Amino acid sequence: MTPETAVVQALNGISFGALLFILAAGLSLIFGMMDVVNLAHGAFYMLGAYITLTVVQQTGQFWPALLLAPLLIGAFGFVIEPLLLRRLRGRHLDQVLLTIGVSLVIADVVGLTWGREIRSIPFPAGLDHAVTIMGGDYPAYRLFVIAFGVALAVLLAVVHGRTRVGALIRAGVDDAPMLAALGVDIDRLFAVTFAVGAALAGLAGVIAAPVFGIYPGMDVDYLIYSLVVVVVGGLGTLSGAMAGASLIGPVDTFGKVLFPEFALALIFAVMALVLLLRPTGLLGRIRVAR
Amino acid sequence: MIETRELRREFGGIRALAGVTLTVAEGERRAIIGPNGAGKTTLFNVLTGEIEPTGGQVRLAGEDVTGRRPHELARRGVARMYQRNELFDPLPARDNVAIAVAAAAGPYRPFRAPPPSELVAADDLLERVGLGGRGAVPARALSHGERRQLELAVALAQRPRVLLLDEPTAGMSPAETARITELIASLDRSLTLVIVEHDMDVVFRLAERITVLHEGRVIAEGTPPEVRGDTLVNEVYLGKVVA
Amino acid sequence: MKTRLAIPLAAVLAAALLVTFPLWSSPWETSRYATTILQSMLVVAILALSLDLLVGSAGMPSLGHAAYFGAGAYAAAIAGQRLGNDDLVLGLGAAILVSALLALAIGAVAVRASGIFFLMLTLAFAQMVFAIAFQAADITGGSNGFSGVRRPTFAGLDFNDATALFHLVALVFLLVLLLIWRIRSSAYGRALVGLRENERRMRALGYDTTRLRLSAFVVAGAIAGIGGALQAYSIRFVSPNDVGVARSVEAFVSVLIGGVGTLLGPVIGAVVVVFIERVMDSYIAFADTVLGLVFIVFVLTARQGIVGLVRVAYARVRA
Repeated sequence: MTPETAVVQALNGISFGALLFILAAGLSLIFGMMDVVNLAHGAFYMLGAYITLTVVQQTGQFWPALLLAPLLIGAFGFVIEPLLLRRLRGRHLDQVLLTIGVSLVIADVVGLTWGREIRSIPFPAGLDHAVTIMGGDYPAYRLFVIAFGVALAVLLAVVHGRTRVGALIRAGVDDAPMLAALGVDIDRLFAVTFAVGAALAGLAGVIAAPVFGIYPGMDVDYLIYSLVVVVVGGLGTLSGAMAGASLIGPVDTFGKVLFPEFALALIFAVMALVLLLRPTGLLGRIRVAR
Repeated sequence: MIETRELRREFGGIRALAGVTLTVAEGERRAIIGPNGAGKTTLFNVLTGEIEPTGGQVRLAGEDVTGRRPHELARRGVARMYQRNELFDPLPARDNVAIAVAAAAGPYRPFRAPPPSELVAADDLLERVGLGGRGAVPARALSHGERRQLELAVALAQRPRVLLLDEPTAGMSPAETARITELIASLDRSLTLVIVEHDMDVVFRLAERITVLHEGRVIAEGTPPEVRGDTLVNEVYLGKVVA
Repeated sequence: MKTRLAIPLAAVLAAALLVTFPLWSSPWETSRYATTILQSMLVVAILALSLDLLVGSAGMPSLGHAAYFGAGAYAAAIAGQRLGNDDLVLGLGAAILVSALLALAIGAVAVRASGIFFLMLTLAFAQMVFAIAFQAADITGGSNGFSGVRRPTFAGLDFNDATALFHLVALVFLLVLLLIWRIRSSAYGRALVGLRENERRMRALGYDTTRLRLSAFVVAGAIAGIGGALQAYSIRFVSPNDVGVARSVEAFVSVLIGGVGTLLGPVIGAVVVVFIERVMDSYIAFADTVLGLVFIVFVLTARQGIVGLVRVAYARVRA
């Protein structure tokens, strides 16, 4: 591997990690607050990418999707939570099973609406050029993905650490029933949490659409990526999602270059190793395994 | 029979056990008393292997068993009656005991139906703890007192050498308390008993020796009259409860 | 006395009717469509039965059970191709061995987790198997799949004959049903229930619960592997989809719709799921949506499944 390709692959890895962070942050938020692993997370992500496809087809513009898709998917999440999950509150495993059903329906509806072929969209206007890095061309959009991921991480960290909403989330992660006792409207809090988590998945779908592909089956692929990220990093915390994404993004990318024949299995080996050495994940507090 | 040396356990800076040394002889009946937070339940959790000590040693019949896992200790003859019942709630009382009988019977035959002798043994045990005729009732449908009796039957079904009783009379009516106390008193004398209990009448009825724990340390140990006469013990514990 | 004989008699009669289905249905079922559908229902039922040993008996919600099904399918297909021998014992043996070993390897990590975490890990590791099936194209055929699976022979019987193959699938299904019934009523099966209800107590009783969970995972994996081999023989094709999430979900949905922790629930669930996915699918475009909605309705309102609903209804009629 030449230094030039090493740098290019490092950037690829970091930009993939940035995308995974956006995706995993939503999954981790929902788990942290509600103790529910949302298995429809990949489906929300997929929906984000396909909505982007339609926005680009209809308007010729990419940027409106960045607002529209998270809003629509967030609203959907805001409806789904009271309609389905709330009925089984406290029964976490059953709530997880519900999200499997939701995921099945969304994936099928996406297939019916947009067809079952691989689709693609061009880089958005303004970022469709290449940047010269170490004498080679590098797509500017990938640098935007990195910048976006980092900016979002900073924003979320500030919200989480410095604001009232953040304090509420931190308290909820520790003990949701206690929040209820303090007079916080748990129903609304959970609906909003689920909506924000879903919106983050949708946002990740929008960001991913120009580079990481739009295809049937992307829901499962990225659900698994996000699960691996949160298990490796530590479940239910923002720092865990960051740590997991920072590790898995580059590992997956370099794996595909260095050991193409094992690449797809590599991240699972990393996950197994982390679980054996640190059952809480790198920065987590909850023991996933004994 | 059971020995600990300088047993320590910290939970994130809080010392639950701060060097506990005690020796319980074979066939002895020992009570461990102390105020809430003295480390009694932590001690039991270490003795059954559910929690690893951060320091010190546990010996069972002379063998160093420090850090052994719960099932390994159970197979060496340690049984426990939990403070909060740990039962198989939807299963009939008889099956609760039968699973324990099967565990004590050694390696089971995976694909054979359980032998009828097992159910007979289970029914005998239920009879012994005063649950005769209640074998078909699911554990969750029993009253609190009955669930404590079942908890005892399950522990006895293991044919233990050492039985740890964590507040056997917790939440029981005076009549139920008297019954289970007599039941425990009537157990085979070769069985080593370690009892954590708040009810001093029960403690003085059952125990031959008493160990007093306070803030993770042994502050007194002796026969019931000795402990009753200990001024320090009266100050930190007995004074508040009996008086 | 009457009912004590009636139930075994009914069971034997039902079993005989099932195995001989292609013979007595031939007058009105000339296209063999119903036979084909029934055959795939039986295969999915084997998968669901093995999964319920985990989900129902032991309380281990695996969402990656297709990994062992698919491993069995690939093993049977590859054994037939590479060994140059079509003996059924060899094919099924390879399927059982490979899926059990895979379950042992994955289980060694996954059984350390429980509940939702176990579900996440089994799902993720199954995706790893999917990735391997996808990438090891030299052996598995990769994304094109493995086509032209050779059908087995056994003691002079040639299962290239469709009717003979149906007999085989139905017979193996019945054997698996019998095996699961025996396990459920054995000391081992009861220990699994103990594990589900109170793992702490099981440890305190002297059961090595980690080993118990792992053994259940391996047994369930091996039985799923048998289902996979029969699937490979049936459609003579294996693809990464047979290890994929969709198939794992199919098995899980079957168990839950039919009735978790019951003997016949997974079988009934498999019949419903295959009906939606293979029969309804030919008439409507949104069969998966129907399956998803049915699943949601069951999770929300009838968690005990069809068998549970029937039991409640029966109790009401008798009362």
